Amino acid sequence: MKNLCQLLVACLLFATGSSVAQQETPPRLQDLDGKRIAVLTGSSGDFAARKHFPGAQFVDMTTTPDAALAVDMGKVDAFVFDKSVMIGLVAKNPQFHIVEPPIASLDVAVAMSKDNAALQAEIDGVLAALKQEGELQRLYAKWVASAYTTTPEMPGYINAGQSGVLRMGTNALNEPYAFHTHGTLLGLDIELAYLIGQRLDKRIEIMDYNFEALIPALQSKKIDFALASINVTEERKKLIRYSMPYLSNDISALVRVTRPAAVTKSGGVSAWLRGVADSFHSNIILEGRYLLIWAGLKTTVTISVFSTLFGTLLGGVICFMNMSKRRLLNLPARTYIAVLRGTPVLVLLMLIFYVVFASINIDPVLVAIIAFAMNFGAYTAEIFRTGIQGIDKGQMEAAIALGFPRLSAFRHIILPQTINRILPVFKGEFLSLVKMTSIVGYIAVQDLTKASDIIRSRTFDAFFPLVMVAILYFLISWLLLQSLEYLERVTDPKYGRKAGRS
Amino acid sequence: MIKVEHLSKKFGNLTVLKDVSAEIAKGEVISIIGPSGTGKSTFLRCLNLLDQPSGGKIEIDGANLLDPATNVPKLRRKMGMVFQSFNLFAHLSILDNLTLGPIKLLGSLRSEAESKALELLKLVGLAEKVDSFPDELSGGQKQRVAIARCLAMDPEIILFDEPTSALDPTMISEVLAVMRRLTKEGLTMLVVTHEMDFARDVSNRVFYMDEGIIYEQGTPEQIFEQPQREKTRAFIHRIRSVYLRIESPDFDLYAINAEIEQFCEKQILTKKTRQRLLLLVEELLSIYRPRLATTPLELTLGYAEKTGHLELTLESPGDAPYPLDSAMLPDDLGLTIITNLAESIDYHTDTSANRLSLRLVED
Repeated sequence: MKNLCQLLVACLLFATGSSVAQQETPPRLQDLDGKRIAVLTGSSGDFAARKHFPGAQFVDMTTTPDAALAVDMGKVDAFVFDKSVMIGLVAKNPQFHIVEPPIASLDVAVAMSKDNAALQAEIDGVLAALKQEGELQRLYAKWVASAYTTTPEMPGYINAGQSGVLRMGTNALNEPYAFHTHGTLLGLDIELAYLIGQRLDKRIEIMDYNFEALIPALQSKKIDFALASINVTEERKKLIRYSMPYLSNDISALVRVTRPAAVTKSGGVSAWLRGVADSFHSNIILEGRYLLIWAGLKTTVTISVFSTLFGTLLGGVICFMNMSKRRLLNLPARTYIAVLRGTPVLVLLMLIFYVVFASINIDPVLVAIIAFAMNFGAYTAEIFRTGIQGIDKGQMEAAIALGFPRLSAFRHIILPQTINRILPVFKGEFLSLVKMTSIVGYIAVQDLTKASDIIRSRTFDAFFPLVMVAILYFLISWLLLQSLEYLERVTDPKYGRKAGRS
Repeated sequence: MIKVEHLSKKFGNLTVLKDVSAEIAKGEVISIIGPSGTGKSTFLRCLNLLDQPSGGKIEIDGANLLDPATNVPKLRRKMGMVFQSFNLFAHLSILDNLTLGPIKLLGSLRSEAESKALELLKLVGLAEKVDSFPDELSGGQKQRVAIARCLAMDPEIILFDEPTSALDPTMISEVLAVMRRLTKEGLTMLVVTHEMDFARDVSNRVFYMDEGIIYEQGTPEQIFEQPQREKTRAFIHRIRSVYLRIESPDFDLYAINAEIEQFCEKQILTKKTRQRLLLLVEELLSIYRPRLATTPLELTLGYAEKTGHLELTLESPGDAPYPLDSAMLPDDLGLTIITNLAESIDYHTDTSANRLSLRLVED
């Protein structure tokens, strides 16, 4: 659903793209109260903006690219967020403007779970030393103050600490703090993390989460600390532990001063084609972004295929339990089906990752497979039941009267007829599963959708990555569907004869 | 070969079989006849435990079917069943329908099973359909395949559950012909059927089932020529009846006439017969009217399809004098009409009830 909305926005953008550019005077800060303001849910900009503009109407968004797109499209009048992030945005997109002065200034610190005082002491020690040596100032100058146009280099840290591992969570849609180039993570937060690892002689493992998932990940010990330009606020202090601040960060409002959003200027088909070719280059070729897409594609296919396989097996078991006359078997099955079908799979995914496997270091792809298999199982159980009950009772009776034991009659007579009968519905359910997997970004899995989010966070091109991802989803679905259609053909009782067996 | 003692079967509160006992010898062909809903099919389905009996005992070849230690699936292999709705396996070709059981259950080799299946298909006249699928066959062909499927398992007993009831009249004979042929093979056969000619011609014994029991049994001659009990007779002679209860002297004559007319229409009786019948009923009711103030009257009209006899019975509780005694009547007009219209008049009375039976004259 989220993808669809984004695609619609993108198409809208595309359609309105040919109107004529026109300069506007940038609004002053006090003009913004009473307007529509975009914020990222739970971000420091969120808290600061609500305090500063009590009369404004707030629009909650989840990623910087989405919010910037909303400003660009005129869906909102301003976007309130970290100024340092916006500097990079304005450098690449001249239609944006940062309103002066900033509305707040907040400390940025490393976040840890509430009960991890030992780690705080260690990190505080490192940060104090880095500050003393001028390293923190150097990082700020390099990544933020420079307002660079060519991405700075990451120094080659050797990430091979001997005294253990530190798992770090970040949100890599956040230039210049953490972002992807050429398939690797870089930015101020990343460099700082490696510095901390170096000083503590620990190996750093980086996991990319959605921003709002970082605090749950800390609480459930999925990560040891979070470095994602997290501002220090009183509310968060109740939930997590902060190190000493390593930066002070301004919160500013971003507005649009020219229109249009500039995908194409009026200039006919050839100009449009050139625009598409440029988009192709910047979104796919540049910085080796096809690697991200390829990795995301593999993840999406892996999750889809394995959750379909396990979900189908699980569905068979649940269906068997549900059709049993014994209450001990059918009651749990009925409950399972009702609960799993009646709740969002996202909630299940988050619960399994952050609660069930809270203290176990499990591959999130495996968690995604488990969650989607559980969900798929509930649906297939009902599909199986409809298929089995749709078969004439006489078929089973005839098999039993011939002398087949019940189970064997099911295997030889009922099952073959069920499979062919349920495949059309099963295919539909499978297709919706493939598309549903696009929410796995919530548990730090980089699938196809997440890959497009990462690319959009760098290029701020809304149209191209979304349409490309839509096409890729379509191709995956189509290819995987072919295997089911093959199954449908060979389970047709008359298949052998059609193929000319006799 | 089959021994059934005090078999009963209940579905919830409904008792379908009350108390059925029977002994069937090897090679016997038994036809089971009777009105719908009297437990014929249930009896058959209990014999191979498609329905679990509520009580009683079933022995097949000395093995107690209801003993939990008995291997029921194995016992079923020598007891084929032919269903009213054929129940051919829809996903298998005709050949596979016949070979699945022998291969999976009897461990036959595919080649053996297939050559035997072909032979059986020849026997039922359907060898050319070997690669067809059930949905491509007519009803009669399906049923013949179903019989061949049974035979492929080399059974000793075959249970036929209304094998021709779902067929068009044109297809019934082809199935019956195959069944007739089987009776000569020495198989033990139990056939639930509405085909009276078939029952009469091929069976050794006929069970007439009614009221949840084997109501009467005997050779086809005994059951069809001299049925001993009333319900059997009614069934054999295909007596259709209508029953009316009159409880007050101010009865609705028009409603009664309408019911009688409807009955006559259903039995396709002539207009003349209908008018005679209406007149007879009207005269009888006027004679009975004084009594109706104190005792109710039950009027039954029965038509025997076979003989064409129309019988009228008037029954009321308690002992009573002969109602058609001319001394008791105000005039002879009604009585004359009645005696002219009735071919025979019977009267029977005792302390519990009195009954007047009349048979309408025929053309």
